[in-house]
Amino acid sequence: MTPDSVFPFKEAIRTSEERLSALSESGKKIIGYFCTYTPVEIIHATGLIPVRITGGYGNTDKAYQHVPDFICPYMKRALEKALDGRYDYISGLIQGYTCDAACGMVNIWKDALKLDWVHSIPIPYNDTPESSDYFKAVLDELVQNLSAFGGDFSDSALNGSLNLYHRIRKIQYTLYQQRYQGKSNFTASDLMTIMDAGDVVPPEDYLCLLEDLSKRLPNHRRNQHHRFPVPVLVSGSLIERPEVMDMIESSGGRIVADDLCNGLRQIFPTDGKGETPMDRLIHRTLNRFPCPSRSRATDRGRRLLDILTQSRAKGIIFLIQKFCTPHLADIPILSELLKAKGYPAIVIEMDESWKMEGQVKTRLEGFFEMLGEDRN
Amino acid sequence: MEKQTKSNKRLKTAKELQKVVTEYYHQCTAAKVEGKPVGWMPPMNGAIEIFYAMDLQPVFPENWSPVCAAFGLTPQNFEVSEQMGYSRDLCGYLRNIIGYVNGLMNDKESPFGGLPEPDILLSPGGGCVPVMKIFQAIEKRFPDAKVFFADLPQVPVEDIREHHVAYAICEMRRLIGFLTEVTGHRLDEEKLKNTVALSDRACELWDEIMTFRRYKPVPFSAAEMGIMFVMVTLQGTQTAVDFLTKVRDEVRGKADSGMGVIENEKLRLFWDNIPLWYNMGLFNYFEKFGGVVVAETYSAAWSLRMDPNDPIRSLAMKSLTSYPLVSCVSISKRKEMVLKACRDYAIDGVIFHRNKSCVPITLGQMEIKRELEYQLGIPSVIIDADHMDDRNFSVAQFQTRADAFMEMLLNKKMNS
Repeated sequence: MTPDSVFPFKEAIRTSEERLSALSESGKKIIGYFCTYTPVEIIHATGLIPVRITGGYGNTDKAYQHVPDFICPYMKRALEKALDGRYDYISGLIQGYTCDAACGMVNIWKDALKLDWVHSIPIPYNDTPESSDYFKAVLDELVQNLSAFGGDFSDSALNGSLNLYHRIRKIQYTLYQQRYQGKSNFTASDLMTIMDAGDVVPPEDYLCLLEDLSKRLPNHRRNQHHRFPVPVLVSGSLIERPEVMDMIESSGGRIVADDLCNGLRQIFPTDGKGETPMDRLIHRTLNRFPCPSRSRATDRGRRLLDILTQSRAKGIIFLIQKFCTPHLADIPILSELLKAKGYPAIVIEMDESWKMEGQVKTRLEGFFEMLGEDRN
Repeated sequence: MEKQTKSNKRLKTAKELQKVVTEYYHQCTAAKVEGKPVGWMPPMNGAIEIFYAMDLQPVFPENWSPVCAAFGLTPQNFEVSEQMGYSRDLCGYLRNIIGYVNGLMNDKESPFGGLPEPDILLSPGGGCVPVMKIFQAIEKRFPDAKVFFADLPQVPVEDIREHHVAYAICEMRRLIGFLTEVTGHRLDEEKLKNTVALSDRACELWDEIMTFRRYKPVPFSAAEMGIMFVMVTLQGTQTAVDFLTKVRDEVRGKADSGMGVIENEKLRLFWDNIPLWYNMGLFNYFEKFGGVVVAETYSAAWSLRMDPNDPIRSLAMKSLTSYPLVSCVSISKRKEMVLKACRDYAIDGVIFHRNKSCVPITLGQMEIKRELEYQLGIPSVIIDADHMDDRNFSVAQFQTRADAFMEMLLNKKMNS
């Protein structure tokens, strides 16, 4: 991938705090969220700007005044940034109950940062007519609260927002399909950067970036780190440092598919079905490519096997945030299931310093060598 | 400091508890032998009463973990689960029970004869993540068990609205239909009302027992927390009511006669978070400073009332309001509970157990700590430990922190 194509996305991320602060100062209300199960379309349809809270990497000194060390790096770093004033531009916070850490952290944000508006969305775990009805009531409550907070909502506005996000996800998914088919022009870290920009850029602007990229896609050529890279699938949590993907690809692997929070799980399916806009939103949410916090390892295993087959990956890398209970708890069952089908797995845990490159690289090289031998 | 391995039992009814525990587990194993359907479920919800009312045997794998800790079986269970690939960073309840069902479970020497295999699994959607993952692993271990995929809104208590209640009721009815279908047992409405009435009575007794902890000196300490066993496993039964009545009578008698846990009670303490099940005697460590752990997180855990004439709604509400103690916790509610307990029980100091095995209760402790100091001027200390895994607990570190804290509290008391 040529640097020029990804540059606008990198710039969008780099300047996002400044631009979001300016939007906030101009009177726009910005709603932060942690989990991608948050119905961003409703926030957008109410005239507010949804922005995903990110953590990045670095120190967590201030966060430790509020939380123990055995919380995932994402949550610790996000709190650190908030305590540094880097989220002063948000007017409110939404959490869809995804994990115990996210739920607890929303409480701490509310308390420590004196947030006026915090809303929880208790998303159902089942997909039945009753759970859909219940979820509709939950979303109606969100609409009411967002409207009271300062936005006007209508079904037609929601329909427009659903269409907008659908266009975004369709382009993103096309990039993923090209990778499945071995036709991708991007390194995994470039693709991740493209995806990540969507979390912190208002959707209309992000769509422009994506459409502009789409027009120029065919001219690019991907640089291979290795002559004979081993195709792998990466499964795990939110990955906040795209360079980790480079490390995998420079150690002998080629990422051909993923099951990441800021990857496939966020964009698939690209849309839902239903008679009303709200039905369409509910259908998509309840049929998401599942996060381990909302699904069974056995069900995820079946889906992962499908992706492994489609992408022709030879093995799987579990790349997870340290202390991430949903992922850690699934790994034994998933590893057993995948091993039985001939897919070896390796687990890489990441902390907030991201300073374990040497050790991780050695392990990855060993893993790829082993996969390469199997292939031969 | 020598590791406190044995709790100083001071209630006569504690001996009665051992009998109740033994009988409960024998009842579980006997049910299996007699062909009575056995269902495994998470604690703290309204399904227990449904099971008892339908003449089904509920079993609580999470509750089995403290039993394993008391009998020193956790190292073996941890070894099994860790060999399976379960990380040491995961909740100790999860690692213990997964290790147990894949290891010692078939050992005839297990305490109380071990747990009977499940015919039914109530696998939760809701509660904390570890409890959901525990049941998903159990589903895999017992593939022949009939699984009910339960769903419960994860909503903080103060945010509960009618649509949450309606969905919880809907799930209760779906559970009853499922149980009828897979066991052939039908639900008798009158029997359910009686069960809920017994459950309500147990809650009432629980609260009454707790009120005697306001007395100075306090008639029993957190070392007796084992009495909550009946609230977890036998709610909705006459056994629980009879046992709690005896506890109430004994505690009332002690309170009225001024008989305290220790002779010279100087400091009254609150313990936040789950106890160290492998070291319940730790609660007695504070005695040498004249300190008694008077109340704890569980003191208000069953402060709820149920209406026997509206049993399904009552049980749905029980599920919705009990779980938020350990998941979908709101700090404002936790602050309210801890501060109220500190006022009610005239607490001098609070011990926060920063529990590596329980993220939901641990997150927010620092905010509560600050609020205690700010609103009530009550000092507190943080103890790093783990409710199941003693490898995450340093006795020496505990002693250093506890000694300094208790000395500070004594000085504060003398100067006040």
